[in-house]
Amino acid sequence: MAPTAPSPAKSASPSQPSGKSEVSDLKQQLRQLAGSRAPDADDQRRDVFKRVISCMTAGIDVSAAFGEMVLCSATSDVVLKKMCYLYVGVHARAHPDLALLTINFLQRDCRDQDPTIRGLALRSLCSLRVPNLVEYLVTPLTTGLKDPSAYVRMVAAVGAAKLYHISATTCLDADLPAALKALMLSDPDAQVVANCLHSLLEIWTLEAANSEAAGREIETLYSKPVVFYLLNKIKEFSEWAQCHVLELASKFLPSDNNEIFDIMNLLEDRLQHANGAVVLATIKVFLHLTMSMTDVHQQVYERIKAPLLTLVGAGSPEQSYSVLCHLHLLVMRAPMLFSSDYKSFYCQFSDPSYVKKLKLEMLTAIANESNTYEIVTELCEYAGNVDVPIARESIRAVGKIALQQYDVNAIVDRLLQFLEMDKDYVTAETLVLVKDLLRKYPQWSHDCIAVVGNISSQNIQEPKGKAALIWMLGEYSQDMYDAPYVLENLVDNWDEEQSPEVRLHLLTAVMKCFFKRPPETQKALGATLAAGLADTHQDVHDRALFYYRLLQYDPAVAERVVNPPKQAVSVFADTQSSEIKDRIFDEFNSLSVVYQKPSYMFTDKEHRGTFEYSEDLANLTVGAEAPETVISAQRYQENDNDLLLSTSDKEDNGIRSSNGSYTSTYNAPSDLLSSQTPAETALINPGSSTYSTQTNFSLDDLLGLGVPDAPAPPPPPALALNSKPVLDPATFQKKWGQLALSFSQECSLSPQGAASLMNPQSLIRHMQSNYIQCIASGGQPPNYKFYFYGQKAGAAAFYLVECIVNTASAKAQLKIKAEDGTTAEAFSTLFQSVLSQFGHS
Amino acid sequence: MPVAASAIYFLNLRGDVLINRLYRDDVGGNMVDAFRMHIMQTKELGTCPVRQIGGCSFLYMRISNVYIVIVVSSNANVSCAFKFVVEAVALFKSYFGGTFDEDAIRNNFVLIYELLDEIMDFGYPQNLSPEILKLYITQEGVRSPFSSKPSDKPVPNATLQVTGAVGWRREGLVYKKNEVFLDIVESVNLLMSSKGSVLRCDVTGKILMKCFLSGMPDLKLGLNDKIGLEKEAQLKSRPSKSGKTIELDDVTFHQCVNLTRFNSEKTVSFVPPDGEFELMKYRITEGVNLPFRVLPTIKELGRTRMEINVKVKSVFGAKMFALGVVVKVPVPKQTAKTSFQTTSGKAKYNASIDSLVWKIRKFPGQTEATMSAEVELISTMGEKKLANRPPIQMEFQVPMFTASGLRVRFLKVWEKSGYNTVEWVRYITRAGSYEIRC
Repeated sequence: MAPTAPSPAKSASPSQPSGKSEVSDLKQQLRQLAGSRAPDADDQRRDVFKRVISCMTAGIDVSAAFGEMVLCSATSDVVLKKMCYLYVGVHARAHPDLALLTINFLQRDCRDQDPTIRGLALRSLCSLRVPNLVEYLVTPLTTGLKDPSAYVRMVAAVGAAKLYHISATTCLDADLPAALKALMLSDPDAQVVANCLHSLLEIWTLEAANSEAAGREIETLYSKPVVFYLLNKIKEFSEWAQCHVLELASKFLPSDNNEIFDIMNLLEDRLQHANGAVVLATIKVFLHLTMSMTDVHQQVYERIKAPLLTLVGAGSPEQSYSVLCHLHLLVMRAPMLFSSDYKSFYCQFSDPSYVKKLKLEMLTAIANESNTYEIVTELCEYAGNVDVPIARESIRAVGKIALQQYDVNAIVDRLLQFLEMDKDYVTAETLVLVKDLLRKYPQWSHDCIAVVGNISSQNIQEPKGKAALIWMLGEYSQDMYDAPYVLENLVDNWDEEQSPEVRLHLLTAVMKCFFKRPPETQKALGATLAAGLADTHQDVHDRALFYYRLLQYDPAVAERVVNPPKQAVSVFADTQSSEIKDRIFDEFNSLSVVYQKPSYMFTDKEHRGTFEYSEDLANLTVGAEAPETVISAQRYQENDNDLLLSTSDKEDNGIRSSNGSYTSTYNAPSDLLSSQTPAETALINPGSSTYSTQTNFSLDDLLGLGVPDAPAPPPPPALALNSKPVLDPATFQKKWGQLALSFSQECSLSPQGAASLMNPQSLIRHMQSNYIQCIASGGQPPNYKFYFYGQKAGAAAFYLVECIVNTASAKAQLKIKAEDGTTAEAFSTLFQSVLSQFGHS
Repeated sequence: MPVAASAIYFLNLRGDVLINRLYRDDVGGNMVDAFRMHIMQTKELGTCPVRQIGGCSFLYMRISNVYIVIVVSSNANVSCAFKFVVEAVALFKSYFGGTFDEDAIRNNFVLIYELLDEIMDFGYPQNLSPEILKLYITQEGVRSPFSSKPSDKPVPNATLQVTGAVGWRREGLVYKKNEVFLDIVESVNLLMSSKGSVLRCDVTGKILMKCFLSGMPDLKLGLNDKIGLEKEAQLKSRPSKSGKTIELDDVTFHQCVNLTRFNSEKTVSFVPPDGEFELMKYRITEGVNLPFRVLPTIKELGRTRMEINVKVKSVFGAKMFALGVVVKVPVPKQTAKTSFQTTSGKAKYNASIDSLVWKIRKFPGQTEATMSAEVELISTMGEKKLANRPPIQMEFQVPMFTASGLRVRFLKVWEKSGYNTVEWVRYITRAGSYEIRC
């Protein structure tokens, strides 16, 4: 076929004349061909259809030709039919009335003798997506599901989900889900079964938001009979369907260890599958099933090592990228896993930079006593890499390894060698690292200072590197002979310094230097303060003024503020909480791992686009995880800041952190609302409260919880709980901090309960069905920690619970805090009774 | 949901839409614009194959001069999506015969639309196997207007086949001559330090098969891998024969291989698809025979001259030879003039890749060749010398040689009609990424 008339390259907008005349031309030709019975009419029609489709692809609005296309569609030519269906599928929604014209011939084709035609027509019929035509869909779909040809059944199974998206009620009224379920459990054809599974999962997951029955249906999908039935057929499925079935299996909660071993034995050979997606899905099943069995879990890691390493090297770079993301996640959980295979992560010259970057991260993560030397040697090779971002990353990687305390001595030497390479970016990155290292290992100051002292500050352009150098000049001015003079030089060029960060550091460094070597620095200090006061940048100005007044008030106090004795930093703050990491691990083999974020942060509507907010939320969840530890962590962090950011940064940081909390509430109006008056909003307008509950729900949903759950057993009449309480992590944390402890006691779990606590989710689900929500959970077997909350029905008062469960001893320690002290006891009784029921249901 | 792709786009390098297929309504119409704006027209392009814009994630891959973009709005399974793209491209290639690029798409867009309809429904991958799809999607695709009733048999048959238990093979095949071709293709990857020590070295191999066999034959393949031999010795209770055995680090098989039997008996048995397919892939890290040794010496004489001396030794059997040997030696950007002396082959300076390219058409085993080159540089001010040069890269292929030492011990074919088959086995080793730092 010759390339079609208007080159699709010109993505012409509909208003462009070229597009318009083209369309009217096409219309005319179609009209001529409509009634033609010439022997070559089909060929001509094909050509015109092709041109229409190519215009459509190019973005030209060809909907004007709808009528003519439909007229021409009465043909027996399959290709023509397909093109016509494609066209109709794209434009039907804009022309519902004209779409009605197509129904007739589509319905007729649904009864064709040829199963290909039947399937094709049915698929197109379901793809029309015109709400007022749904009535015509039900009959063909119901018959389609019973069609003798597997091809048609396969199409019909997906068609049911399409219908659900157009009109949920029609789909449910026609009882299609029941038919799908029956078909899923009986059809001999694997692809039909797989499509039924896709559709059922989709329908029930969406439906679960408004009906409890749907939640139960989801439960049955994850139940033993269904999962085992599908797993036994696993070899018949196509590789894609296998991925789906394995995903389902990974959410299955086995009742005992034998089931776990059965599943693993059955799936063992899937690790040898050529499709990497199947291998990853299998790995997910293995990892999740063995969570509670530490030994076996370790064996699983050993078993999956070889297939994963193969996947890294096989396939396209994009595939390696996705595999490496998963490896990184695993390595964070089990660093020893790949420590002897570090050579697999050496970068190849031809690797794209995104793969190289991940490989560097892997090398950093797996470094330990045994391999540090080789890894660092390799990383040093990359420091001279042509690809500057990778060179930078590799220097940072060396620094990170140094901070992990392995073989620091040699690494410091290497870092100092970097400084001799005399490249701007290498020097800048290295300086930042040397600064961090000195904060952790002050004992190295002599060696480092000797080298750093030789670096001319003029050669460093990058603000970060320059700031690091200046920090060191200030901090170690007593050891560096010419520190005051270097600083003086820098102050002289104050106006040329672009970066406020550097100017801030310069201010502080000169102050520090002044306290250590007053006579030499006095002149520079005066110049600095003057320049700082005249600075146009607000922060710089403020800090200069602050120092000035502090010095005026009492130089001794100023010294205590600027130059306090310092302790070495022992641990640098981890950026991600373990809660978040566990969430990501739960969502193994999905985008979450690539983004390193739990899915609710990027799929929920509220979070879309506002990354800052999601990050804030992440921090808040951290908080919610363990309120007391957070408080202490904050204190600790402040201590750290003294050391980490140099004293002068302290006030700056104070401001920043309070700023941070402002922005968190500012960016998130819903958050603000609920934190101010959580109870009222929930009370006054229970409808609106679903807005944020849904967040909670969808979180849990992703974990396969299928909320809301089975109706709760009638709670003791003493206290009724609000069925949908709303509390966000921040408020929870605040309340937890404010409230006094109402109750603290130990209670025991039923042995069954302890046994079924293989996975913390099961308890969370159980509590949820009794209107007690979980806000955070974590821990490793046998100890789990949960934070729950509940709300008295019709009142604003919240109850907060910290529950530490030891599955080995079947004991739970409870700490209950109540906003309404009078009902605290009732709630405690209720909570304990609910807890003790766990495992019986 | 494993994939549930909302849409798939094919774009050329300028960002024009070649093909778009929307599977779901959950993404807005202007996804392409978003992709163009936020990825194609920024420096971000190529920095990461998965990006999020708004609420949608874009998983994209560049294949020759085409970007294939999958848009998802849910928490999709990334590896599944990329694998789907790779498989889909392989399918298209098998339809257009070899190349997949912008022109091929423009010339076959109707066919691609047809295929996209079949291979994915509502965002869920369906059947992607070319053998099956070719039965009912043909480029002609015409049903003669005079026989509108299902007269042509393959079509209804095809749909039955779409999903059968042995999905990869049609029943009732007949060949006059029953033949099997086995190709063992290995690519050897090497990373050698400037001091001559091997930093990393492995072999990824695949066994490609071409089957022209009648009926439903059962095949069994025996290799000289350690586990398989041990198992066999154990079963037959006789000591395993001496000779080289290979330890495979990891193996993956085509879906036709009975994995249960592989796990219990360690034999590779299968009912093969008709025609060409990839039977298995394997990876080996221990005991790799490197076919070539490269010994570079690079001297810098002052600021403007370099002396490069590269010696290449072939260390495979003297009766064998390598073909298409190419050695690429990187030189600085400011290279002005080069002169060469080679003992065999031809060398020249290629400015577009900043390398000296030395080509030797045929390289016998157990021999060596050298190239000495003098490079004159334009003297530049301020430009500091590169701390690291990019590595020397090498390309080659050695027929009848396997870097792993893997050999086919037997290939048995059983069919109920008991015909005789002819088996052909070939070996070839190619350079994967063969890098020597200097």
